[in-house]
Amino acid sequence: MRGYPAIIVITVIVLAAALGPMALAWRYDAIDWQAIHAAPMVRGHLVGTDAVGRDLLARTLVGARVTLAVAVAAAAVAMVIGVAWGAIAGWCGGRIDEAMMRIVDALYALPFMFVVILLMVLFGRSVLLVFLGIGAVEWLTMARVVRGQILSLKTRPFVLAAEAAGARPATIVLRHMLPNLAGIIIAYLLLTIPQVVMVESFLSFLGLGVQEPLTSLGILVKDGADDMDLAPLALLVPGALLVALLLAATSLGDRLRDRLQR
Amino acid sequence: MSVYTVERLRVTIAGATVVEDVSFSIGAGECVALAGASGSGKTQSCLAPFGLAAGQASGSVRLLGEQLIGVGEPRLRQLRGRNAGFVFQQPLTALSPHLTIASQLSEAWRPPGAPAPSRADMMLALEEVGLATPDIILRQYPHRLSGGQRQRVLIAMALAHRPALLVADEPTSALDAPLRADILALLDRLRADRGLALLLVSHDLAAVARHATRVVILNRGRVEESGDAARVLAAPEARYTQALIAATPRLSEPAPSLPMPGKRLLEASDIRVSFAAPGWRKGRILAVDGASIAVAEGEGLALVGGSGSGKSTLARAIGRLGPLDAGKVLWRGRLLPRRADMTPADRRPIQPVFQDPVASLDPRWTVERIVAEPLMPLGLASATRRDRVVAVLEEVGLDASFAGRRPASLSGGQAQRVAIARALAVDPALLLLDEATSALDVLVAGRVLELLETLLRRRGLAMLLITHDLAVARRLCRRIAVMDAGRIVEQGEMEKIIAAPAHPASRRLIAASS
Repeated sequence: MRGYPAIIVITVIVLAAALGPMALAWRYDAIDWQAIHAAPMVRGHLVGTDAVGRDLLARTLVGARVTLAVAVAAAAVAMVIGVAWGAIAGWCGGRIDEAMMRIVDALYALPFMFVVILLMVLFGRSVLLVFLGIGAVEWLTMARVVRGQILSLKTRPFVLAAEAAGARPATIVLRHMLPNLAGIIIAYLLLTIPQVVMVESFLSFLGLGVQEPLTSLGILVKDGADDMDLAPLALLVPGALLVALLLAATSLGDRLRDRLQR
Repeated sequence: MSVYTVERLRVTIAGATVVEDVSFSIGAGECVALAGASGSGKTQSCLAPFGLAAGQASGSVRLLGEQLIGVGEPRLRQLRGRNAGFVFQQPLTALSPHLTIASQLSEAWRPPGAPAPSRADMMLALEEVGLATPDIILRQYPHRLSGGQRQRVLIAMALAHRPALLVADEPTSALDAPLRADILALLDRLRADRGLALLLVSHDLAAVARHATRVVILNRGRVEESGDAARVLAAPEARYTQALIAATPRLSEPAPSLPMPGKRLLEASDIRVSFAAPGWRKGRILAVDGASIAVAEGEGLALVGGSGSGKSTLARAIGRLGPLDAGKVLWRGRLLPRRADMTPADRRPIQPVFQDPVASLDPRWTVERIVAEPLMPLGLASATRRDRVVAVLEEVGLDASFAGRRPASLSGGQAQRVAIARALAVDPALLLLDEATSALDVLVAGRVLELLETLLRRRGLAMLLITHDLAVARRLCRRIAVMDAGRIVEQGEMEKIIAAPAHPASRRLIAASS
């Protein structure tokens, strides 16, 4: 399969984020007073330190960990809401379908970043809220895709045959339709992940993401951008990781979707 | 003089030989039919020499004396444009959806650079293929035309530059029976009027052989038999040809003796179904308009009609598998509930079998799970269930080893047998057969039809058979209901209606099937 490079990049990033911080000499929140804005390879800091002397590589890997966790959790929330919403609308059809899809249209029309920012301001900053907030706005596309697929599956003879066999609607949707949509759902899930990463990074960049000393790729890029004339690596290292992650997840999702929609 | 001569044609695709040692020739005003099951290499043998198929052709192919093999694409393109015309199977996909018929037809006047045809030229061309209102048709987009009209437009396009040879690849397979006969008659007329050489490709031997001068029977890329059409049809020599002819039911056969019907089983009265009209304007299209039918125990009722006549919609409304506006259905004298309120017990006696065997099986399920599905609401022990599955699989001619397979590994005929087994698993009293044999190859369809005949006799099953092929219907059904434009226009005993049809729609269907 031609998606190998993307799979390898994602695997490497996930493993590095999960295990990397334990293998390093410095913790992500330990301040090394002897090495503020240090260059790479000074006092065991492999790619140097940030403005307050914390190990840049450790912070990048922990930031990737947070970003990935937010992305996967938010994408999962989006999938659960989106699949359920789309499947119910598509199966019921008629007025229920109309009403449910108009709600989706209305939510699409809202400036969703504004909604998330409002939630942050109202309920204070917490990682959990970031998960839920992002998940709750990213399910719209999934709902539309699933509804469309269910509509086209509904008239397929094997679904009619299941109805004639006396299967209940819930059984038909869960046993016949969703398994046949698994591929497309996974593909859109993979396409949701980079979107969530972008939203999370953007919120963190605005200072609305996770709280210090915990960090995320977005926060690191923002801090790095502040000092880029002094210490370009503080921008380049987390930035490169973010770009690699986004590219790999998007290209893998695209490829999967194309394979399934031939 | 021969217009088109093929000698020792061999076609390979990626190194694999798909056609070998095929030879025939067509003179002016003659028609040669290439017939065979799907995958027999008929399309490759007629299109590969022109560079229109994936295969690489070798051997010798001459069109008006000029060799086609090995001349290179630019010259081939000129030859295609000047001396040959092509008509394909799918009349909708062969036309570009966003151009009017006029602009597509004028494009067909080749060679490129020639002056555009006048409107009068185009109207004449459309009139010649039997389109009565050419001025209206020229202004339309393809989706506004019926399948038969589209195929006529394509024939007009293929003939616009006055070719010597017309290659028609399954020109009627996507059309229903009456239209098939019309298109074949049109091709006959053009051949006689213009001295056109016609190469006709079809999987339906009986249908094309009557129109052909000679036939070539292909099987797995080789010629099984070739010769004078009347002779091959009347006295086939090769066993394959004999099987092919025997598998095609014809109205000229003697009437089969069918079991006597029992008590009244199903009674549907005044069924109406409508669909929302497409587009922004509100409105509904009446697909079934007040149809009433009845089926007795052990009786076959054929619901016949052209495509779009509403026969499938009616059957689905009766089987509670589709929408229904009004009308009631009595099952053994008891009113059937609405679609949403049907219990598994209500559904069990009425089981459907659909046209497309592959689409009617869930691709992710095993055969065992598919066949067992109607048994699930019964709450049987899994061993009992498995025994039932194996028993019905054997009844439809599949052994127990099929139980673990998935639909993708089944052939069309095997998949349709699995679908029939699923319908039989719960011991139904009535089968709804929605064109159950028409998507299958002639030989396979013949065997599935035999299976259905056995079931009718041995199990005493009642059948509601939806078809556009009267000859198929006659093998299974004592009675017939003819549908046209959503209404049942004629209903009665099969033999009486075949002998003396009253309605024009019935007459057209009978003419097309005999």
